[in-house]
Amino acid sequence: MPADPRIAPDIVCKGLAKRFGDVVAVDPLDVTFRGGQTTALVGPSGCGKSTLLRLVAGLERPDAGSIRIGDDTPDAVRAQAGLAIAFQDPSLLPWRTARGNVALAQRLAGQRVDAAAIDAMLDLVGLDGFFDARPGALSGGMRQRAAIARCLITQPRLLLLDEPFGAVDELTRRKLSEDLPPIWQARGTTTLLVTHSVTEAVLLSQRVLVFSPRPARIVADIAIDLPDPRPGQETTPAFIDLAEQVSAALIGGEGPSPRRLAAQ
Amino acid sequence: MTPTAAAGAMRMRVPRLALGPIMVLVAWQGLAVAVPGDFLVAGPWEVAGHLWQNAGLYFRALQTTLAAAATGFLIGNLLAVALAALALLLPRAEALIAGLALLVFCLPLVATGPILRVLYGPGTGPQVTLAALAVYYTTFVPVLVGLRATPAAWLDLVRSYGRGRFAMLWHIRARAALPYLVAGLQIAAPAAFLGAMVGEFTGAERGMGILTLQAMRGLDTEATWTLATVAAAVSIAAHGGIGWLARHALSEPPPVLLAPPQTGSGPGLWSGLRGILVVGVVAIALWWALLQIAGLNPFFAKGPGDVWAFLVSGPGADENRATLLAALAETTGALGPGYFAGMAMGAALAVVVTLAPALSAVVMPVAIALRAVPIVTTVPLLVLVVGRGPVGSAALVAVMVFFPTLVACLYGLQRAPGQVLDVMASYGAGRGKALLYARLPAMLPAFFAAARMAVPAAVLAVTVVEWLATGRGLGALMAVSASLSDYGTLWSATVLTAVLAALVYGIVARIERRVLAVFASEQAQ
Repeated sequence: MPADPRIAPDIVCKGLAKRFGDVVAVDPLDVTFRGGQTTALVGPSGCGKSTLLRLVAGLERPDAGSIRIGDDTPDAVRAQAGLAIAFQDPSLLPWRTARGNVALAQRLAGQRVDAAAIDAMLDLVGLDGFFDARPGALSGGMRQRAAIARCLITQPRLLLLDEPFGAVDELTRRKLSEDLPPIWQARGTTTLLVTHSVTEAVLLSQRVLVFSPRPARIVADIAIDLPDPRPGQETTPAFIDLAEQVSAALIGGEGPSPRRLAAQ
Repeated sequence: MTPTAAAGAMRMRVPRLALGPIMVLVAWQGLAVAVPGDFLVAGPWEVAGHLWQNAGLYFRALQTTLAAAATGFLIGNLLAVALAALALLLPRAEALIAGLALLVFCLPLVATGPILRVLYGPGTGPQVTLAALAVYYTTFVPVLVGLRATPAAWLDLVRSYGRGRFAMLWHIRARAALPYLVAGLQIAAPAAFLGAMVGEFTGAERGMGILTLQAMRGLDTEATWTLATVAAAVSIAAHGGIGWLARHALSEPPPVLLAPPQTGSGPGLWSGLRGILVVGVVAIALWWALLQIAGLNPFFAKGPGDVWAFLVSGPGADENRATLLAALAETTGALGPGYFAGMAMGAALAVVVTLAPALSAVVMPVAIALRAVPIVTTVPLLVLVVGRGPVGSAALVAVMVFFPTLVACLYGLQRAPGQVLDVMASYGAGRGKALLYARLPAMLPAFFAAARMAVPAAVLAVTVVEWLATGRGLGALMAVSASLSDYGTLWSATVLTAVLAALVYGIVARIERRVLAVFASEQAQ
């Protein structure tokens, strides 16, 4: 995907560190996420990859080090409504309809609430006919679709996805990861995707970073050079080979001792 | 539940809802017939007749009291919301704000009533103020909890667009707290009515409170029962009406309020002695400053120094202390047994009802309705039935505590997680074991929440009975000293009552926090 560095600048983290009390979440870490790409962050639970995402979003303050998104700090990008974040829990406001939840993002971003654009976006994510449904009346998958619509409506330069398909069943998860990523990939939005699923990482990204257990250290940096569209390639030798590379790095980073696993 | 069972439950529900009230009416009529003589119990039939004959009188009185109660309700709840928002925006001051709010709430209406009467003179001032004082704390606590009980992800969402605290309050917290506000308002409605009536007891021209005093002095059985019935009906209607409005205005029903755990910065700095000290010092400073600013007659308006002199350093302090402590002992003698008996009976009935689920559909609506009754307005009734002895005071406290405890415990018992019960069932555990290992632990948080909120309610109940009926204890001491213009005694007794009530409340809250940490860690912050 062609990436214009002015629209999709690289994210450069230097000497980034974060601890919560005695727990070291991120040890000094240097990493660059390329603009316009989707980078998948894979690692054992609690390894600090979500913290890394929150640091990039400016939702946490680093104890040391710096993050630059192009020439801007995360706070500056946030203030320009240049980023959007989606969590494992769709976090829709239960009293607002699907439309209302998407409109809230525009309102918070200081943009004009554009009813036509909202309807078009809800249509695009596959919520046709549920525009005025409240989250309580939507299925888990539909809620996640609404959450992605909320993310995309403000035209963010940077999309941060923290296991967005993690809380739904396997079938829904597959359907979502076929339907939704093409929307933001078509825009060339820089995307960081935290995921537990090796398949999802290979399916959705141009690059997979594998993290060790806490404190987060990058144990593998694997380029995913599969042609698009990816769905349907899961059984090809190239795909399986990449997936096994990621799995091997994950197991290697975990260390051979089962006791260490039990201790987590 | 199978489809047919669900349909069966639907069919049963309507008559069952009506069954409770019908049973109450039948039991009441039965009591009226069974109790000999005409001077103890007036049955529903007699009450209806009396009401019909004096419709104009009751209508005018109700109008007056309702007007004062509604004004106080509005002011008190606005104040509560403002205080909660302030506590949210100034997290460092939250413990102080909550502590002061509690202390003021614990001021006995029996004493603040006469003081306000002197301040305002004739008119509806005391009624409105007492109504506001009676409601603000029970709204403040749930609203603050509601404002803070927002999932962190919602707040992150706001922050991810570069917006701050105000946007969070406006877009997220205010709306998320609405169901909590409604739950607070439901409790506030009967409390406002009660506050307005107590205000009228201090010498108003007209209203339900005046009729109550007249009925009690004249030992007018029919009027007494009629007044209690009207007060109960109005309160139940207000409680139900607010709930109904909320269900139609909000997309979700108001939470069944378990007055939730006291908010605060948690154990540590504030909840310890230092917190109490800070609240005490600020309270004394505010008290002193208010008297200075208002420039009141020092004969009437006693400051912290006057109370200190009265109790500790002045002439006759020993005697004053002895009088107060004797009254305190009498009050505690009625308060303690009543409080514990009410809690125990409420919890016990909740357990019985849970073991016999068929009962619950009958008991629950009645209990929820009766919880809304301002029990204190039934003091004259109680005097008729139990007499003016200390047993009467204890009984009233017990009744005051009983219904909220019953409702909270029923709710808690039903909250035992279904899967835990399924695990029990899979081992063939019977109802008794499921109760012991799953339901009782689930009930504990609700029980302690009720125990905490029952403390000020019990103090209110016991002081009002002592004032109106028994002539003993702190309530009577405050009433007598008010009528004798013995303001030193009045202010000292008021301060003593408020401080003790607030301290007991704090102790129960600490026990509650411990219990929550074990049995409902999600609520314990």
